[in-house]
Amino acid sequence: MRRHRAVLIALSTLLTASLTTIAAPASAAEPGQVTGLTVRQADGFATLAWQPVDGATDYQIERTPVDAAGTPTGTATIVGIWRPNRQINQESPTFADAGFNPGDRFQWRVRARFDTTEQPYSEPVAGTTTAPWGNPDVPGEQLRTQWETTHAAQYTSDTEEYAYTAAIDELSDRVRVVEIGRTVKNRPINMFVIGYPTPPATPEAVAATSPAAVNCNVHGNEPGDREACLIMARQLAFSTDPRVIDLLSHTTVLIVPTINGDGRAANTRGNSTGQDLNRDYSLIRQPETAAYVNMVRQYRPVAGYDGHEYGNSRAGDLPMLPPRHQNVAQPIFDESMDMIEGHMYTKGAEDGWWPCPYGCDGGGNVGLGEETILRNTLGLKNVVNSLLELRSSGGQTRPDEGNAANNRRRKTFSALWTFQQFLDYHRASLPDIKQARAESITFQAANTGRLVFRGSRPITAHPAPHPGSSPPPIDAPPADLILDNAPCAYRLTEEQYHGARTDGPTGAVTTAAERIADHGWKVIKVGDSYYVPLNQPERGLIPLLLDGQGVENLVDGERIYPTSTGRHTGPLTVTGFACLDDATVTGPVTVRSGAALVTTGTTITGPVNATGAAGVLLADTKITGPLRVTGTTDAVSLIDLTVTGPVDVSANRTDNQPLLVGNTVNGPLACAGNTTAPTNLNISNTVTGPRAGQCATL
Amino acid sequence: MSYPRTSRPRRAGAILAAALLLATTACTDQSAPAPAGGTVSVTGPLCAALPTGTEPGNPTALADLPVDQALTWMPTLTTFEAALRTSGLLTDLHQDGITLLAPTDDAFAKKFSDDTWDTLMTRDHDKLRTLLKAHLIAGTRPLDELAAAGTATTLDGVTLTVTRTGDTTRFGDTADAVCADYLATGARIHLVNAVLGPLPTTADGSGHRAH
Ligand SMILES: [Zn+2]
Repeated sequence: MRRHRAVLIALSTLLTASLTTIAAPASAAEPGQVTGLTVRQADGFATLAWQPVDGATDYQIERTPVDAAGTPTGTATIVGIWRPNRQINQESPTFADAGFNPGDRFQWRVRARFDTTEQPYSEPVAGTTTAPWGNPDVPGEQLRTQWETTHAAQYTSDTEEYAYTAAIDELSDRVRVVEIGRTVKNRPINMFVIGYPTPPATPEAVAATSPAAVNCNVHGNEPGDREACLIMARQLAFSTDPRVIDLLSHTTVLIVPTINGDGRAANTRGNSTGQDLNRDYSLIRQPETAAYVNMVRQYRPVAGYDGHEYGNSRAGDLPMLPPRHQNVAQPIFDESMDMIEGHMYTKGAEDGWWPCPYGCDGGGNVGLGEETILRNTLGLKNVVNSLLELRSSGGQTRPDEGNAANNRRRKTFSALWTFQQFLDYHRASLPDIKQARAESITFQAANTGRLVFRGSRPITAHPAPHPGSSPPPIDAPPADLILDNAPCAYRLTEEQYHGARTDGPTGAVTTAAERIADHGWKVIKVGDSYYVPLNQPERGLIPLLLDGQGVENLVDGERIYPTSTGRHTGPLTVTGFACLDDATVTGPVTVRSGAALVTTGTTITGPVNATGAAGVLLADTKITGPLRVTGTTDAVSLIDLTVTGPVDVSANRTDNQPLLVGNTVNGPLACAGNTTAPTNLNISNTVTGPRAGQCATL
Repeated sequence: MSYPRTSRPRRAGAILAAALLLATTACTDQSAPAPAGGTVSVTGPLCAALPTGTEPGNPTALADLPVDQALTWMPTLTTFEAALRTSGLLTDLHQDGITLLAPTDDAFAKKFSDDTWDTLMTRDHDKLRTLLKAHLIAGTRPLDELAAAGTATTLDGVTLTVTRTGDTTRFGDTADAVCADYLATGARIHLVNAVLGPLPTTADGSGHRAH
């Protein structure tokens, strides 16, 4: 079972985390006194750890500013409360103290409480906290954000972000900054593309490295994660830490600091039209969300995080939630849960942070299955991912966050910890992530099982002995939002596909055709109709936008059911739109010029030959005999086929990439002269014969 | 006046900013000299949450900044600051002495739902300007002076009561001054803990807005 791995891979230390752990001097303990207190410094926080006291209800963490000689220079303050629900394991309590000026020196003590009765304090430990990352004398490393230089009094403005971003781009060979789009008000939306020694040159080459993506700031009034992203970009660009070199040697990191630049500038949740962008990632009415979806199509991140802040003061430090729309394939949901509960909960217990399910204590009606939310959109696009919240206030376990700058620091450095952990998780778990993705893509393309228009997979509470937090609401799909009999395709009229729309910013409203292209779905035009088959990698998302029952849909497309099921013996000639599902064909199949063939769960004995077809989308199908697809005009997709015989995909004229994904070919595979080179979406084909031409490395 | 203000003044222009980013390796000089009037002291329970001492953004360092820039240094005023900037009222503020009753971010969060606020910020700019005028008083008025007067008329034409009980000064029976007597060029800023004006409360107080 992937979800609760017993053994977690040992990971390298956090960037700049001191390997030195400072321990309090040993002395004979009084009854009830905490012993074994240690402190370990990392980026913007200090991890306190101690031996538990039998019978303790909770612990208080006290911090005092001190000088180099250990003399207090300020007042002692209770800055933390450790409670059992902060941590999945109880035998090794830890607390990440944050909310101070990085680089300052402190002394800490911890005491247990029995109910409310305070026990003696531990012996103190002292340490100098880690200064803002980067040697001030080393070019590149010396860059600082506006947030850092103002001691968190100001967030980094748009112009400061662009200057900082440009400086990193200029000074680091590892970084390429690309503009993935513009906001409604024409602000550039930048993305750091970071690899070692240099990032791959094209989106397709980046995609081949199974990149990890962080979306830092979709709600403009939640800027904490964005500052963490800007700091992490500098670390990745210039750090010589072996962990960073190793990470960037194996993958590419994609960081979008500000998808909602207009909202950030105005400090509003939505963009400049008032649209909540995190309710728009499926519909992509706005240029900001369209830019992100376009990026995902081109760069194909396999894992992601999406940063937010959250007002529930009873929540943990770091509420997290996986994609849970029920159309998200099970392996993606499972792997996302593993990332959160397997990795983050475990590492949180080591480092003293408190990740928890979104909602946590008294979560209310949050964390549901809207496909308009990036978390769910990405899941439906087969990306392992999580939402991240930074609890806005100090909450129940951080009683001294009245100082606004210190509150901001705790939020940003907890986000930085999470994003660094996310990259470590990606590095350690990439085989699992890729397997989950491959299984999900083939599952989706097979177009089997019911469709749910809205509703979530359940998330259960973390198992005992964790005394933990309450999970988010069940959010099961109601009966009227379940479609047991999935269609083969949706048919759109010319008006639906290309017609003018009104749902978007004035003067910049896109058509359904443009949005479908942004998502990367294959469309076949036959006669006057546009067909969007469901046997595609994003099958679970298609009906949410194209079915009349979709809660927030794009058009009321017509459901097209299979035209053939069961046995067919003798030659089969396809004219118009044909869909075979759960069919057995014995005899040659010929797809005529301008026609379309879509198959799932089908066995064909006999050659399959499509010449000049509008579209050929075959998935989860067995073919005995040569398969030849040539001269296709609109779309070619071959996913999870078993072909006994040669496969030839040549001279197709599609403007989008032909897909050859996860097929088994007992014979040669040849591709030549396709207008757009085919891709395997990084899911290899198994080919016993030679591979030639554009398919040589697929 | 030519004395330095803060180590990192706001500036426009990416190229200049980039050059300064490269040149500025640390906050080596956070302490600003006192303004013409000497050290500025602010009073109220929230002052400790704001930059103090020699921190960037401390009250003395702000005293010679234009009011729009001074507001950007107050981390509990991000909503009010952005609203003033968005509304365009700041242009008017530069003309004469002005006193700002500046609601904190918490005050806005208690008053308006995100949706209400986004609508004001993106579409209802007339309503936004009226709302903001309910927080502006002509002249630079110290808190003591307002309390002594007992009333104050805001730029939306409403006359507020100003009452003092013990250490607390309250405007319009709703908004307490929580950190008073910030100075900026031609301006005084009193942070208050509630939003004034007639707009209805739309926040549900749950803090559970889904993300
Ligand atoms: Zn959010």
